[in-house]
Amino acid sequence: MEPLSMCVNTQTPLMRFNPSWAQKAPEGPTREAPLDMKLLTEDTDYEFTPGGVTRMVFPLLKRMMASHTLKDATWVSLNPVGPKSSTLSGIEFRNVLMEQERLAGYGKTKEAIWGTVHGLLPDSNSEDIFWRDDFTDYAYYNRLSAELIMNLDSEKDFDIFYVHDFQQLPMGHMLGTLKPKVFRWHIPFDQTAIPKLWEEPLSTYLNSYDMVIASSKRYLDSLKEFGYNGASRHVYPYVDPGDYSRPTRAQMDALRRRLGIARGEKVALVVARMDPIKGQDRVVRAMGITKRRCPALKLLLVGNGSFSSSAGGLKLSKGAAWRAYLQELARRLEVEDRVIFAGHLSQAELDAAYQLCSFTVLPSVQEGFGLVVIEGWIHRRAGIVSRGAGASELIREGSNGLLYDPDDVETLAEHMCRLAADRTLADRMGAAGRADSRRCYVDEGVKEESSIIMGLV
Amino acid sequence: MEVLQISVSELLIPVASFLIIILGTWVTAYLVGVIVSRLMYRSAPLVSAQAKRLVRAFIWFVGLLLAVEQLGLHVELLLLIIGLFGGALIVANRSFLENISARYFSDLYVPIRVGDYVAVGGHAGRVIEMNPMSTILLSADDQLVCVPNTVFVKEAVVNATPQAWKELTIPIVVGGDVDIPEFERAVLRSSNKIRIHLDQRFPPVLSVKSRTPQSAELTLTLMVKEPGKKEEISAEMNQRIADILEEAKKKGS
Repeated sequence: MEPLSMCVNTQTPLMRFNPSWAQKAPEGPTREAPLDMKLLTEDTDYEFTPGGVTRMVFPLLKRMMASHTLKDATWVSLNPVGPKSSTLSGIEFRNVLMEQERLAGYGKTKEAIWGTVHGLLPDSNSEDIFWRDDFTDYAYYNRLSAELIMNLDSEKDFDIFYVHDFQQLPMGHMLGTLKPKVFRWHIPFDQTAIPKLWEEPLSTYLNSYDMVIASSKRYLDSLKEFGYNGASRHVYPYVDPGDYSRPTRAQMDALRRRLGIARGEKVALVVARMDPIKGQDRVVRAMGITKRRCPALKLLLVGNGSFSSSAGGLKLSKGAAWRAYLQELARRLEVEDRVIFAGHLSQAELDAAYQLCSFTVLPSVQEGFGLVVIEGWIHRRAGIVSRGAGASELIREGSNGLLYDPDDVETLAEHMCRLAADRTLADRMGAAGRADSRRCYVDEGVKEESSIIMGLV
Repeated sequence: MEVLQISVSELLIPVASFLIIILGTWVTAYLVGVIVSRLMYRSAPLVSAQAKRLVRAFIWFVGLLLAVEQLGLHVELLLLIIGLFGGALIVANRSFLENISARYFSDLYVPIRVGDYVAVGGHAGRVIEMNPMSTILLSADDQLVCVPNTVFVKEAVVNATPQAWKELTIPIVVGGDVDIPEFERAVLRSSNKIRIHLDQRFPPVLSVKSRTPQSAELTLTLMVKEPGKKEEISAEMNQRIADILEEAKKKGS
């Protein structure tokens, strides 16, 4: 088969730019021609955005290009800061720019969708979102993206469109072409959580795609039950094991010193951005219960705000407020000396954090998947996983991890004490997890997604 | 020398008259177009645009004839040929033209679209295609039924699609210079203002049907709560859309 031309559309851009990029780019921010990213320095002028786009979409494209499945790839995303277009690894990046005032309305709508799907908002707060003025900003953003993509299509004649995640939901409807459109639904899908007034528009949008890929079998089943009648598959999110390395003793000691963790202390690790949906409050409450049963256990919370809430991103702040709430909760429960807020860690520091912890916890109330479980497994660490996360499908209870209901803080505390007290059990589960983590390796995931894409053209 | 002067003025006057008439025609066509737009304020934008185009074409036709006459050419024979040729064309293609015009009017006034289940002229089936000549139905026994478009304007049509009575589709044609994302945002906001009369399960949807550098064909789909309000809602939305376009034009200029 001839190599394909693919257009990828995500809200979150692969790269988040720092103001210094403009000085390094010839012609600065007014530059029209694509900027070769080799002219900029990673971590100074730009950084890779944490999360799914960097961990999944980027490797997918790179590997499809390397295997000549793709002849070219164009990636369109929302990026209020940065050049109009840039190139990296043979991929062309095009940015959609939007006024700050419109971003606020767009942000409110996507937060409402996110919150409702994750069971955080009662129906009464979100059921009429498609009628609100804020929704018109969400539609505006998607139409801007669709217009840009259709203009690019007239130049490049794409073979397929790959739309990543709920922020871009209306794109299938807005892209005025019969060429195949794949939609990656990355967040949970539980049809019982969908408000009545969402059924018709959601169904219209979903059914305008030729293929929907969900992150777990459970969400895929729910999608079909909801009424999506097109082709669909589930592909677990994936990571590249080569991105993780075993830290040196010096790196681990440095992190211990920085975070105030003594050698030999038991640590429960939560890696998640600061967001109520991530359920860090449940683990802090569990720490309140464990203070008598296993007083030596410490909780390490790693993560900042997302692209949406960061200063280099959309500036829709909520991360700081959630962190302040968690700190206050820890104080109230008198566990503030055992709860450590590490904020953002570099990959090397994160590797060290995985290595020094006894086990990981994924406390999400609802989560499309939860790659941190896999990352923990790669580091041979057992995972305690909320049943609200898609990754819970991979847990063999007592074998490679432990499960609990997201609101059952008592059981969570029990599991934490059990793994903190029984090193052998934790190690055994970590080793079993390491073997199971292969199911979510990038090679496997890319193979599956490529075959889905190729099957449509 | 004198002979030459007479020849030049004889040549210049008709050319100048020709140019003045062309200029006058252009101004008249523009002004009349604006007047037609204003008069058809509450009509569907598609109808208004077509009417404007027709009136302007007529003015240009008359203007060109007058202008050509200034150059000393006789237009009577030209008119006669055009008239005879046009008449013959109409007679020869009567049914073809009937179907095309029926398609145009059924688009506007007969509430069916591709995907609907309809019964017309003794046939029933799902509409799978609507072309300039006919509407193709797929019957329950998997047969294709080709119904000439004139049937749809001459006979009673039953649309048995659930909720079909609720659907109000407003066709919109905008110039290629209109900012579609901005226009869509304004139209959706405007539709939200009459939300009380619309079915809450079906939010307004704007779709881009076709696009060229010169223009874009869009449709706004609304689902009304009460059938009796349909015409009123249509008129008000048409007016609102005209306002939005007018506003956009002002901002653009």
